[in-house]
Amino acid sequence: MRAVDSRRAANSEQAREEDRELLRRYHKAGDTTAREELIERHLPLVRSLARRYAGRGEALEDIEQVGAIGLIKAIDRFELEREVSLATYATPNVVGEIKRHFRDKGWAIRVPRALQELNAAMSGAIERLTGRLGRSPSIAEIADELKTTPEEVLEAMEVGSAYSTVSLSAGPSGDEELDPLETIGGEDSGFERSEDRAALEPALERLAPREREILRMRFEEGLPQTQIAHRVGLSQMHVSRLIRKSLGTMREELLR
Amino acid sequence: MSDRAERIDLEAPLSGDFQAVVRLIIGGIAERVDFAFEEIDDLQLAVERLLAETCTVDTVRLSFEVGTRNIRTSVAPLSAHKVSEALENGDGPAGELTLRRVLQTVVDSFDVREAGDGHVSVLLEKLKATP
Repeated sequence: MRAVDSRRAANSEQAREEDRELLRRYHKAGDTTAREELIERHLPLVRSLARRYAGRGEALEDIEQVGAIGLIKAIDRFELEREVSLATYATPNVVGEIKRHFRDKGWAIRVPRALQELNAAMSGAIERLTGRLGRSPSIAEIADELKTTPEEVLEAMEVGSAYSTVSLSAGPSGDEELDPLETIGGEDSGFERSEDRAALEPALERLAPREREILRMRFEEGLPQTQIAHRVGLSQMHVSRLIRKSLGTMREELLR
Repeated sequence: MSDRAERIDLEAPLSGDFQAVVRLIIGGIAERVDFAFEEIDDLQLAVERLLAETCTVDTVRLSFEVGTRNIRTSVAPLSAHKVSEALENGDGPAGELTLRRVLQTVVDSFDVREAGDGHVSVLLEKLKATP
């Protein structure tokens, strides 16, 4: 038992040292691949913390994304002189970001529990129906699958987009942030081809590779959301939210 | 529903929670034509992006002509200058994600009409996919 404990301690110490080296590379040399590696290494921590807030009517993957924003902020703000480990420093940042998200959006307060649950159930229902029908289902079909009314499905759709959609009014809203889970992995293509894109490039660059890839598939290849969802392994509702968020983020960047 | 198009007019502020109301109404109207979830999302996105990029006033007028298999949505008043910049200057360089390209993807057709006083209206048409 003692041997196991000491091995664990050694591994933990090694992980802390590796984190510090990556933090040094990122903060001192501006090495963004080190930043991405740090994010990837600590995503299990984010997932673990996010699970504590599951079951409140919001998809776990969305809570994880919000938590990942806290992780990225912690990585960006970490001072190398600190004696604490990155995991210790990041934990309150991640939890704080998730709590702030729930508080700001008033999710648990404003949205009736039945609608929260319906929204959470919709993603799975849409996937099942898409598989069964070979096309995107109608609202009536979703309602039938979930034993509810089309009106309630529409309301639940709106509940889902309420916290993630971009502002309808012109100008930056200031609360749309890069989706940090999407900053990891994925090859870039398509939108990178053009050279004459001076104005748009910074806007596209604010997006993570997978977000750019989703936009490319939707607006260059013209693929429907259902196919994109299948390709990238996300739900159709999640793809829809990422498209909205990405377009909003790009708009903000262009207006800077 | 009869073959004759039904018409619904809406005047809505764009602030705060009314944005959600606009989306909900678009969803409700599209549901009556039995649009698929994805088609409703497309139409909502088209209106949303159009307003975000070209609307400079606080209140918007939306008119919906609801056919048996299509919805024509008129959005006004929009800044003629911004619409011209966003829609009428071609597709832009290959790969550029302009409003024009977004609309070309998510609706079946769109058209710009004079609305006077430096404003225009944009007509979006979305058809229900053939089964």
